[in-house]
Amino acid sequence: MKQLRRNMRVVKELIRLRFQNLMMFRLGFFGPFFVDGSLFCIQILVFQAVYANVERIGSWEKGEMMLYIGTFSLLNAVNMMIYFFGVNAIPYKIKSGDMDLYLTKPISPLLRLSLEQVNPGSVPLIIMSILIITYGVQTAGIRISPGKLVWYLFWLVIMQVLYYEMEVIIRAISFYITSATSFVQLEEAALGLCMQLPGIAFYGIYKVIFYVILPYGIMATIPVQSIAGEMTAKTAVFGIGIVCIFSAITYLIWINGKKHYNSASS
Amino acid sequence: MRKYREIIRIYLKAQLAWRADALFNMLFVLAKIMFAYLLWGIIYDNRSEVAGFTFQGMLSYYLLSAFLSQIEMSKCISEEMTARIRNGTFSKYMVVPVNVQGYFMAMEMGKILFYIGFDVIAVLIWKCLFRIQFTFTKSIMVALCAVIIILLGMIFMAQLNYYLGILTLKYQEIGTFLMIKNNLAALVTGSLVPLALFPDAVLKIMKFLPFYYVVYLPSMLLSGKCEGEAVSGIVTLIIWCVIMEAVLSITWKCYSKKYEGVGI
Repeated sequence: MKQLRRNMRVVKELIRLRFQNLMMFRLGFFGPFFVDGSLFCIQILVFQAVYANVERIGSWEKGEMMLYIGTFSLLNAVNMMIYFFGVNAIPYKIKSGDMDLYLTKPISPLLRLSLEQVNPGSVPLIIMSILIITYGVQTAGIRISPGKLVWYLFWLVIMQVLYYEMEVIIRAISFYITSATSFVQLEEAALGLCMQLPGIAFYGIYKVIFYVILPYGIMATIPVQSIAGEMTAKTAVFGIGIVCIFSAITYLIWINGKKHYNSASS
Repeated sequence: MRKYREIIRIYLKAQLAWRADALFNMLFVLAKIMFAYLLWGIIYDNRSEVAGFTFQGMLSYYLLSAFLSQIEMSKCISEEMTARIRNGTFSKYMVVPVNVQGYFMAMEMGKILFYIGFDVIAVLIWKCLFRIQFTFTKSIMVALCAVIIILLGMIFMAQLNYYLGILTLKYQEIGTFLMIKNNLAALVTGSLVPLALFPDAVLKIMKFLPFYYVVYLPSMLLSGKCEGEAVSGIVTLIIWCVIMEAVLSITWKCYSKKYEGVGI
């Protein structure tokens, strides 16, 4: 409890410092909103065009697809707002030897790295995502009950954890090899694909890759299935299982990675 | 011309230092084809045609458009210019005895020449792997027109990116704008989905814009569609390139004086 209180104090201080920093460089404040906002708007236009020619993709009609785009956009917006810029800097900190500063401080290095570059400029993206989700719910004709909403929020939270873990794992590889650039590019390619393609489209080997090895395919699909009433008990167990497995992998990679860190810049 | 040939040669050689990038370039082609294969595979499950495309026709389109959008590398011009202007090292391009625009176009050409071989290999590998029955135009004239349109489209995109690079001289930070432009370009050039899926009214407007001719029309021509638009495509792109060149010349004259060579 004492440790948690101390961590919370540090987090508060990190956010305060970040705001001071952002006030100095105001130019790029809303940059992530405009870039990612345009990306998801284009995504909507693409699927509007597709649905103008077909009634359904698999079992999903236009409403479910809008819900999918909104959910992915929301996961991405929270990622951009809270931890992306901090986690993204991990390979650079390892490469340059700057990680020393984090390992020697009396606070969890990962906690500090994750929260030291929060970006409030992504808040409008969260609002935009919620609007897309609302539009999706209306178009799909889904009746939202409090139970369904709680269930959806539960899946959103644990998929956000999975998103975070994937980012940390890929960047913590820098502890073991000189450059993790290729892995980051692989992540970009997989994320780009899954942003455009819902998990229901995967089958066979593609399903193994995007559900188990690089589970970007389930991140927005499972929450949508939960709110659309399409989720089975098997899917729920699978989703929770994957998040638990990746939590363990993240923990092991980070803890062992720190042992590989030799403090010298390369 | 010898100066520009030398620039092309230097950049062609320089790419050898970044061999892993070539591999990832092939991977991005795969991501696009995999997207098409999975998305359209599930759509074509219960229908044989969408917007005039059969499943194999759609995959052929994606194969060609993925190839064309990968070899269209003009965004490196605006990125290089904006980075150089911001850190004050753009001076090196101003003091060398070559035309700055020509330098950047030669730079892009060097990069394309390096990657084009890898992209052809990638397309052939994925064609075999996904068993795509490629539909190719039977008319040599149409294929020739498509090649001319591809070249003109690449020249136009290089001009556009050079223009955006020049804007850094005035606005200092345009990184965010460049990323938005990349997202938009993917949509309006037809790299994400064939433009034929959009309503007729939108398509009519798009035909007046140059982006329609960068990826979409050449891909359609090469896969044996829209053959009647080949000549009008060439004419439209030539007009756009001439307009763009005039705009570039005026903008460069106005903004090049603003460069301080210091950086921020």
